[in-house]
Amino acid sequence: MDRASVMVSAPSHLGLRGLTKRYGSFVAVDGLSLDVAKGEMVAFLGPSGCGKTTSLRMIAGLTPASAGEIVVGGRELSGVKAHQRDIGVVFQNYALFPHMTVAENIAFGLEMRRCSRAERTQRVAEALRLVHLEGLDKRKPAELSGGQQQRVALARALVIRPSILLLDEPLSNLDAKLREEMRNEIRDIQQRLGITAIFVTHDQGEALAMCDKVAVLNQGRLDQVGTPEDLYERPATPFVASFVGRGNWFEGDACGARVELPWGTLAVARPCTGRARLMVRPHRIRIEPQRLQPPAAGSDGEWNTLLGTVERVVYAGDLVQYEVRVGAGAGANAAVTVERSTGAQREPVAVGMPVSLSFLAADTLVFGNGG
Amino acid sequence: MDERPISRALKLTAAAMFLLLLAPLLVVLPMSFSGDAYLAFPPSSWSTRWYGAVFKNARMVDAFFVSVKLGLAVTVLSLLVAVPAAYALVRLRPKGGGWLLALFTAPLLLPTIVLGLGLLIVFASLGWLGSAWGLLLCHLIVTLPYALRMLVTTLSTLPPAVEEAAATLGASPAVVFRRITLPLMAPGIMATSVLSFLVSFDEVVVSLFMTTPKLSTLPVAMFHHVEDRADPMVAALSVLLVALTLVVVLVVDRTIGLGRAFVK
Amino acid sequence: MTVAAAIAPTRPAKTGQPVATTALTAATLLLPIVAINTLGFLVPVFNLLLMSMRKVEASGALLDAWTAASWLKLFVDGFYLQLLWNTVRVSALITLLTLLASYPIALYLHRSRGTWRNLLLVLVIAPLLTSAVVRTYGWIAILSDQGVLNAAARALGAGAPLRLMFNEVGVVIGLTEILMPYMILSLLAGFGRLDPRLEEAAASLGAGPFAVFRRVVLPLSLPGVALGSLLAFVLSVSSFITPKLLGGGRVFLLATEIYDQAIVTLNWPLAATLSIVVLLVFGLALAAYGRVVRRIG
Repeated sequence: MDRASVMVSAPSHLGLRGLTKRYGSFVAVDGLSLDVAKGEMVAFLGPSGCGKTTSLRMIAGLTPASAGEIVVGGRELSGVKAHQRDIGVVFQNYALFPHMTVAENIAFGLEMRRCSRAERTQRVAEALRLVHLEGLDKRKPAELSGGQQQRVALARALVIRPSILLLDEPLSNLDAKLREEMRNEIRDIQQRLGITAIFVTHDQGEALAMCDKVAVLNQGRLDQVGTPEDLYERPATPFVASFVGRGNWFEGDACGARVELPWGTLAVARPCTGRARLMVRPHRIRIEPQRLQPPAAGSDGEWNTLLGTVERVVYAGDLVQYEVRVGAGAGANAAVTVERSTGAQREPVAVGMPVSLSFLAADTLVFGNGG
Repeated sequence: MDERPISRALKLTAAAMFLLLLAPLLVVLPMSFSGDAYLAFPPSSWSTRWYGAVFKNARMVDAFFVSVKLGLAVTVLSLLVAVPAAYALVRLRPKGGGWLLALFTAPLLLPTIVLGLGLLIVFASLGWLGSAWGLLLCHLIVTLPYALRMLVTTLSTLPPAVEEAAATLGASPAVVFRRITLPLMAPGIMATSVLSFLVSFDEVVVSLFMTTPKLSTLPVAMFHHVEDRADPMVAALSVLLVALTLVVVLVVDRTIGLGRAFVK
Repeated sequence: MTVAAAIAPTRPAKTGQPVATTALTAATLLLPIVAINTLGFLVPVFNLLLMSMRKVEASGALLDAWTAASWLKLFVDGFYLQLLWNTVRVSALITLLTLLASYPIALYLHRSRGTWRNLLLVLVIAPLLTSAVVRTYGWIAILSDQGVLNAAARALGAGAPLRLMFNEVGVVIGLTEILMPYMILSLLAGFGRLDPRLEEAAASLGAGPFAVFRRVVLPLSLPGVALGSLLAFVLSVSSFITPKLLGGGRVFLLATEIYDQAIVTLNWPLAATLSIVVLLVFGLALAAYGRVVRRIG
């Protein structure tokens, strides 16, 4: 319908089976298995050293895999050299050719595919329009801003109509405002072209905002893959729970659907036994001055109530954070963070005030030996 | 930025030492215009006769052309040998690459008198003494360590990501090298060429062992000349050589920008 | 001269190719330089070791027999022990003088800035781009009986000419100046540790300029001093052109003797033996440098 559809390539299905990378005795990627549907953008999310960039490089063919399979569009890629894989890559530092103009940079992939000069000119112009950089074709990379360089890198990778697009932390070198802008632009382009993409990042906000699915990597292993909602509401491991979003952590002995803590007992969402760790999201906790009646159990299930004193109030614009010390006087105590949207808190709460914190048992995330 | 004033004592001492450092070159310049038949200071008369004598001296002129041709040949060969070697060491990273680089740098640590003797003995047994190819190989040994180290540094400062990007866009390793790596190495290659040429052009000790009266380089011819007698002709020749070196360095710097090769 | 640096440990190739092809490609690309290095460096040096133990006739003809005669000559003939001692003694003196002459220049350069500094640096490096013959010739013009210094001496009323050539004095003066650029660059590299704020701190604590120099600048510049000294010493021990021309065949050092034995006397085994002695002196100097550097810390 519009010019973008002219650039749509045949999107591919990407499958990873037991992808592994070993450096001597160190395992950087440990049996990564994953499927990406056509047109999906999947994030590889994790802290530095978790193996996400290594995995990306193996898919691109830049790092040889120690074991495992990579299938793109039904084509198995082990043994296929990087320059024969038909995969578009956007590098973290853009890796633009400094000695070529913007137009030459973008045209490079087309030259390699022996496109005629007329076709190259036309497709380069299309690509520049796609990333909103018309008019900059004769500039050299050194004359462009970071955001502009990033768009050129994107255009260069897309103009060749690759089967899949790989992005290696493309936004980490941009300032906050530009990151958000580019986030939306990249997502728009990806969706318009319907191109399958992998987006590597350590920023969970980015991953959740941009991608259809998120794969969380932890020390070379895939901890969980799912929609942003899946990861946030139903994290499979403590690592995912703490990496995606914020949380308050407690540890104690579980017995059925109850966990014993040094300063009290909490009702939790599911039963288990032995040592357990449980987590409650800060914005699922209600905070009220102690003089008020805590909520009673109802249709939502049992309520947990903790008593404590407000130690700190942090006004963060759209949120207010309260740091509350609970369990004082019981020997061991803990600091609990509560988040409320600004203006949502009905009863005023100030530093030093005794308060009661309440949260539903259903809102707890328990990690331990399942019952 | 606060600038500490430099003490007068230091300024004076440094100036005096600088004078010492530049003394020979400063003396040679006026001597080259001496009208005397032998080296004497101050000259009793002034003349440009010795400059003329340089161009009329067949031995010197022949030796000059030998040095130039040799220098050019050695430069080209150094590049042809050192560029692939640098690429292999920096991009392909073979096992023991560190040891290999140390080995290839080792000739720099060897005194030229020892190297010259070693080459003399080996080449004599091979019958290569006095041959142009033998001389070429000797100069190559001397220039290669400089060339290799310089090119390894150049390549090391090129981010591999740019070459990887080219590969993902469909360029085979040979195309990546031709279209991306080589153009980006250009300033370094230029600097290496200039250095190789000058090192070869000025090389004297190893050449002393390798040359004969029939095949002689300019520094060797000058050495033998000075050994016999000291006359102002060598002064004139020295001034010409220093000027030539300056011109070469300046021209290359203006056209390609040597500064870029050293300041990354 | 550059000292070979240790290179980072190797990792597997980063390209998408399997390791075997990469190793083959690397081997092919390295073949020319390996061949040249073997033929032009490893073989000659190793051969020197062998040659030092060959038997030779007075005519210079090499016999296919082995003997330790050349090595024995070294220890038994007082001439060669004297030669070795002269070389080491003269080189040590030259090193000291070069250090004293270069230190002010290096310190001044370290403290200056901008285009002036770059210009001076060019002046320091420029002599390195000319051949040893040109630089030595300049000293002949200064030191000879009809040279600049004697002209000045005559003008000041000196009766007899100063004998500054064809003796050790001339060689020491000439070689000191010729080695200055190497020393200056080494010192400059070592001065990197010097922070002007340290000197200011010392001054603020009551140290006068000489005390600041003695207690702050000098100790911190020691690594550069050590490296420059090593460089000057080894370059001096192996120097040939300058001692030959300024010494006029009357100054006997290891390098000149090697040349004479090889080209004039045609006693290659002896020349080879002396070459190995030079390498041994190098090795000892390097070891001493290593010890000094570890002590400086």
